[in-house]
Amino acid sequence: MSYIKLLFAGLMVFCIHLGAFATPDIEVGKELFKNNCAACHNKNMKDALTGPALGPVLEKWAAYPKEDFYQWVRNSQGMIKAGHPLAVESWNAFKPNIMTPFPNLTNDEIESLMLYIDGVFKGTYGPKAVTATETAGDSTQESGFAFWLYIVFVLLAGLALFLWKLTADLQYSISHKTGDKEVKKPSLLGMVANKSVVSFLIFALVLFGGYTTVNNAISIGRQQNYAPQQPIKFSHATHAGLHKIDCNYCHDGARRTKHSIIPAANTCMNCHAAIKRGSKYGTAELTKIYASIGFDPSTDKYLENYDAMSEAELSGIYKKWIDDNFVRANGLKESNASSQAEADKQWSDIKASLTSETKPRIQGAIEWVRIHNLPDHVYFNHSQHVTVGKVECQKCHGKIEEMDLVRQYSTLSMGWCINCHRQTDVKFADNKYYESYRTYHDELKKGTRQSVKVSDIGGLDCQKCHY
Amino acid sequence: MKHTESNVWVGEKDLTQDPAFLQSLENEFTSLEEAALGGNDRLASLEANRRDFLKVLGFGIGAATLASCEAPVKKAIPFVIKPDSIVPGIANYYASSFVNGGDYCSVLVKTREGRPIKIEGNALSPVTRGGTSARAQAAVLSLYDYNRLKGPSRIQGGNPESIDWASLDQEMREALASAAKVRILSSTIMSPSSLKAVDAFCAKYSGAKHVVYDAVSSSALLDATEVCFGQRVLPEYRFDLADSIVSFRADFLGTWISPIEYAAQYATRRVPRTEGTPMSRHIQFESHMSLTGSNADHRILVRPSEQSAAIAHLYNALATASGRPTQSELSLNEKAKTAIDKMAIQLLQQMGKSLVVAGTNNLGDQMLIYAINDLLGNINQTVRFDRVSYQRKGSDAAVQQLLAEMQAGEVDVLIIWNANPAYELPFAADFSAALAKVKKSVSFNASLDETSIGCQLAAPDHHFLESWGDVEPKSGQFSFIQPSIRPIFDTRDAALSLLKWANVKPAGLDEDFTYLDFLMANWAEKLGSSGTAFQNAWDQLIHDGVFETAVNSKPAACQVDVSMAFSKLAKPGDPAVLEIDFFETVHIGAGQYAGIPWLQELPDPVTRTVWGNYLAVPVSFDGDRRFNALGKVKEDGELVQLTTAHGKVEIGAVKQFGQMQGTLSVALGYGRRNAGDCGTGVGTDFNAYCPMVDGYIQYYSTGASLGDSSRVIEKHFACVQHHHTYGVTAKDAKTGENFNADEAALVDDVFKGFTKGFQGALTDRSVIRHSTLDQLEENTKKLQEERAHHQHLNSHTLYPGHEYLYNAGHQWALHIDLNACIGCGACAVACMAENNVPVVGKREVSRHHEMTWLRIDRYYYGDVEKPNVVYQPMMCQHCNNAPCENVCPVNATSHSSEGLNQMAYNRCVGTRYCANNCPYKVRRFNWYDYTTADLFPVNQFNIAKEQSKPFYADNLVRMVLNPDVTVRARGVIEKCSFCVQRIQEGKLNAKREQRPLSDLDVKSACQTACPTSAITFGDRNNPEGILSGKLKNPLNYLVLEEVNVSPSVNYTMKVNNRDESLNA
Repeated sequence: MSYIKLLFAGLMVFCIHLGAFATPDIEVGKELFKNNCAACHNKNMKDALTGPALGPVLEKWAAYPKEDFYQWVRNSQGMIKAGHPLAVESWNAFKPNIMTPFPNLTNDEIESLMLYIDGVFKGTYGPKAVTATETAGDSTQESGFAFWLYIVFVLLAGLALFLWKLTADLQYSISHKTGDKEVKKPSLLGMVANKSVVSFLIFALVLFGGYTTVNNAISIGRQQNYAPQQPIKFSHATHAGLHKIDCNYCHDGARRTKHSIIPAANTCMNCHAAIKRGSKYGTAELTKIYASIGFDPSTDKYLENYDAMSEAELSGIYKKWIDDNFVRANGLKESNASSQAEADKQWSDIKASLTSETKPRIQGAIEWVRIHNLPDHVYFNHSQHVTVGKVECQKCHGKIEEMDLVRQYSTLSMGWCINCHRQTDVKFADNKYYESYRTYHDELKKGTRQSVKVSDIGGLDCQKCHY
Repeated sequence: MKHTESNVWVGEKDLTQDPAFLQSLENEFTSLEEAALGGNDRLASLEANRRDFLKVLGFGIGAATLASCEAPVKKAIPFVIKPDSIVPGIANYYASSFVNGGDYCSVLVKTREGRPIKIEGNALSPVTRGGTSARAQAAVLSLYDYNRLKGPSRIQGGNPESIDWASLDQEMREALASAAKVRILSSTIMSPSSLKAVDAFCAKYSGAKHVVYDAVSSSALLDATEVCFGQRVLPEYRFDLADSIVSFRADFLGTWISPIEYAAQYATRRVPRTEGTPMSRHIQFESHMSLTGSNADHRILVRPSEQSAAIAHLYNALATASGRPTQSELSLNEKAKTAIDKMAIQLLQQMGKSLVVAGTNNLGDQMLIYAINDLLGNINQTVRFDRVSYQRKGSDAAVQQLLAEMQAGEVDVLIIWNANPAYELPFAADFSAALAKVKKSVSFNASLDETSIGCQLAAPDHHFLESWGDVEPKSGQFSFIQPSIRPIFDTRDAALSLLKWANVKPAGLDEDFTYLDFLMANWAEKLGSSGTAFQNAWDQLIHDGVFETAVNSKPAACQVDVSMAFSKLAKPGDPAVLEIDFFETVHIGAGQYAGIPWLQELPDPVTRTVWGNYLAVPVSFDGDRRFNALGKVKEDGELVQLTTAHGKVEIGAVKQFGQMQGTLSVALGYGRRNAGDCGTGVGTDFNAYCPMVDGYIQYYSTGASLGDSSRVIEKHFACVQHHHTYGVTAKDAKTGENFNADEAALVDDVFKGFTKGFQGALTDRSVIRHSTLDQLEENTKKLQEERAHHQHLNSHTLYPGHEYLYNAGHQWALHIDLNACIGCGACAVACMAENNVPVVGKREVSRHHEMTWLRIDRYYYGDVEKPNVVYQPMMCQHCNNAPCENVCPVNATSHSSEGLNQMAYNRCVGTRYCANNCPYKVRRFNWYDYTTADLFPVNQFNIAKEQSKPFYADNLVRMVLNPDVTVRARGVIEKCSFCVQRIQEGKLNAKREQRPLSDLDVKSACQTACPTSAITFGDRNNPEGILSGKLKNPLNYLVLEEVNVSPSVNYTMKVNNRDESLNA
């Protein structure tokens, strides 16, 4: 008994110890960074964003006592006023952007943050590469099952062949012993090339060929896993995943109309009028939005008469912006050959992304590549599914919040639609519209019916989707 | 002669049991070899040889392989800055007004992604009350007319040469500065602001005058009102307050003054009932069967030249009875005389509760009509002046004076404004010649029509869907126009052009003022407010689209100089000589609408011909089995020589029931010379055949003669009368029994002797049921007994116990009140607009290939020589035991859980078994790629020219397509879907708002278009719905109920209010 008590006490002591004497932890630092810093600081720790790149910052602060850095994080403005030399230097580089004070962070937490920043900066800590081969739904599980089936099949086929050869050999031995000299020693080739095997193989080939042809014919026009490059390297993983922006914020049509609606450039500007450097690509991608809508990030103003401006004028404005940022991010004193080369490189990419055969000018709408293409004879309404059916976006679009490059998650085939309509319960109880289905309500009340599926209220009717 | 053999008939052929016709009923679709194709006009496809076949085959395989290799990359292009008001996928509605000359309708414009795609009625309007007309419905297509002028132009040698507005303005200002006589020639303008601009223009140039005329003139009526009441306006007629309606050639339900308003009023009194407010009695005096006449209880046949005599006789009869002096009579046929005498007695018993109107353009007629209404106490009752109508303002005298001035070379500047005098006037040729003598002529017309082409400059006006404006159709009842799309072409408001040319800058506006500024300034003045108060009031006006001021209730006093009126009456022509009546049709009008394909393809309600006008020739029963059409015309569409004092022309003839013996009639508005691809050269122009008498244009001509028929049928003659017929009964020659003609035709060869019909029970089909008001009770009982019998026969089912299927959720159904339906065709055009129904052109219609989902069948009943008419809108009946569904080999048509008969186009392989098996003949097959929806551009041809691209191939025209409805490809069947896209939209709105579905959520396109509310769509499982109430009407019946297909469309028995004694 005392033994157990002792163990228990020991465990308690260990736990208390954990709580009271927390040591810096890189995972804690990652969490803290995501919640507090990522809005302004680039997560690669190498490039400047609204705030400076944190890797080099830490190196600079290493020359001062740790307490100075703690204080800097908790109240940067205070330190600037106090005239700390490094604080003043940073302020001059990034004013008027004020760093949010974090007075509640403990020393340990700041240490954890430092660990994480340093780890990312030096490359000793990094996100694990996402496996690109991940496929839709539960097909991973299915393919695993199929793999074992194949193994079993091959083993059994081998066994059958072995037993067959064995029987043939024995047969031959018996014949040989009984003195029948005519019988040849069976060879494996001779056995396989026998008539019935060949005709079976031909039959199987035709069957398999037919099956494959039909299947491939059915999938003509289907584009599951279609993931084209887009004119802007917009990452849903950053916006919907990291920053947890609601899908409906940008795709505002999904809850009220048939189209989910690709957001207009002015929707991007709601945030990106302030956040002008991207965490991954800096100015390279965000400048495309500005060039599309006519916003000058250097002056924070929309350009007047933007439609009438020439390409030379545009390139002047936006190259200057890219150049300035490059200079600042790399701590250069002024624009030089490398910064200008970077500006040229980015600008030519911007130009290529915003123009096409049908759209020769940079100004105007961004031409995204459409991923989900339904045939013309299919009517699909997002609001029916999102608002009425309360279906999660992810049900059809997959884990979009983890996708850097969006791909088509579902087959968008009719069978796929129908299947869902057969399996999904109608949100019957809390919508007064469904009151007209009195029979079902009565049945539900009586308990003779457990649920009402979409197919029960006409979800399989042709003219639900085809008219 | 009373026709007693069969009760209801569609035309002469089924009455006479023409063997060829009966044989033709055998075919669901006419074959390619059909004579309608004409002698050598063989199809190119038939001539394809082996090499062509291989070429097509090779191309097909290659293209299919290529197409399957790689899916095309599609772009998704968002807005740069998304406007708040536009949500892709959701329609916006803007209140506006359809105005074209005197035609008016308050409308809501449905726009999708910034494109107007459909016109709906505005229920807030006190004038049109949410109703529309075929013309208003089709107006949206004229917006996307690629024949419109693209901008200001100089017209040289008939071709427009683009110039800019500044130089046009400069040129006009210079011309006006030195001009002594300036004339603005327009059709009726009802816009107070436009008229203000005209006034400002006329004030600036002292030599300027505004001349107004109407394409079909009401000049005499306006002049008579001026003589009798001192105002040159039109009275307000109240058809809803009249127990008796007497109309002398006034087509008030179709074309006369304000047909939408009158139809709505008329229908409120056509409810068959024996107690309470009585059903009105409508008596029409006319020679040709007009839309209004076809709805009348009685048609009293008078020759066109006898109209005056008939009016005079009615006046004398009333005067005698009320002790007033009579005037000397004019000669009139005896039948009409007797009828009028009897009618007069009845009218006198309904003092203040009758209404007499005349559509003739004769001052004497119109003055006498006022005198008659005065004698009957109708003035200030059914003929009112508290809200006078401004819907016609034209003056025949003024336009003739203008012509004289032009011919004398006196006119320096002529401005044409939404008028086409070089086509519409009887002296159009003189006008064209005189136009060349005008020093500077400019046209505001939208396209290069007959008049614009003779002008020097074109300053095209906006389409009404692109412009701001106000309208005052009736005094104190205003209506507003707001743009629902930015101007497609470089056009400008006509009134703004006038203001610019006059250098008028209204006070308080800056130099670059727009027409909207001018309009708002006028209304600020009118409403007496400014600033925010005005802005709020203005926003409300534009939102509602209509605005009403207090009524002027001062009773009018009538002063008629009867002897002067009698002196002006027309002298009847010689009864032995043919007379011809020229009338305006409900769809093409006086030619203004000739360029709109939807209207060209809408069959004339009475003759049921499309893409052309045809000479209506009377028929008489020869006592045997034939109908004789003046001994001249054997087949409909035969070309005949018509000669009148004004010229000679060869035209196709149709044999017309109800056309008076000794008279002919033909529609105006056809034979346009410059009306774009669609309207040019369709039909024959008869404007020049209208004589001028006493300075008024007369729409009839005496002294016509008809030459012998050439026995050649007009090329591609298209009359949908006998297309898709069903339920035709005829009489067996031997036994004298009625039998079902189309069934008999089917079984004739196989089952010789089985003339009574196939499978026993299908004779005496019930398509139309009718009764007179007198016999209503008796016939209702009969109807219900018959229905009970049918239902008893139908009650046996192979699959009992499935009733619950029809109890859950919605069950859609339609109710059509045949007593309210006037056959105007607004629903048919609305259906084409809503459902992307293709226009196929004359040649295709002549081959029975019209694509209309909703047709309005016209049936005659009663007396063969003076038949009554019933119009029956016929569309897919959404049968619950649908015979089409179980013959489809690929399950392309099936039944929905909500009672819809669904058509899945992508599944259809085009066997057409369903169409063959449809008892109502409402399924349509896409023989060609009418809409260019196909993958490969084969089998396409134009509505007008076979060589050019199809009508719907033009990208501008395609903007009218409804994005919620699939554009069908070649080779599939289509049909009425009960506007399933509207059902789905209505349901979704209710679901999103978490409330039960109401009647207002789902209305079919035909329902919203109807001016008389004859069509009601709804959920029959909703006991509180309007439909459920209508389904309780004891007069309801189902068409062909006996065949147990269980249709979802209910019709009511047609009841007329005949008084047989009038006919005696």
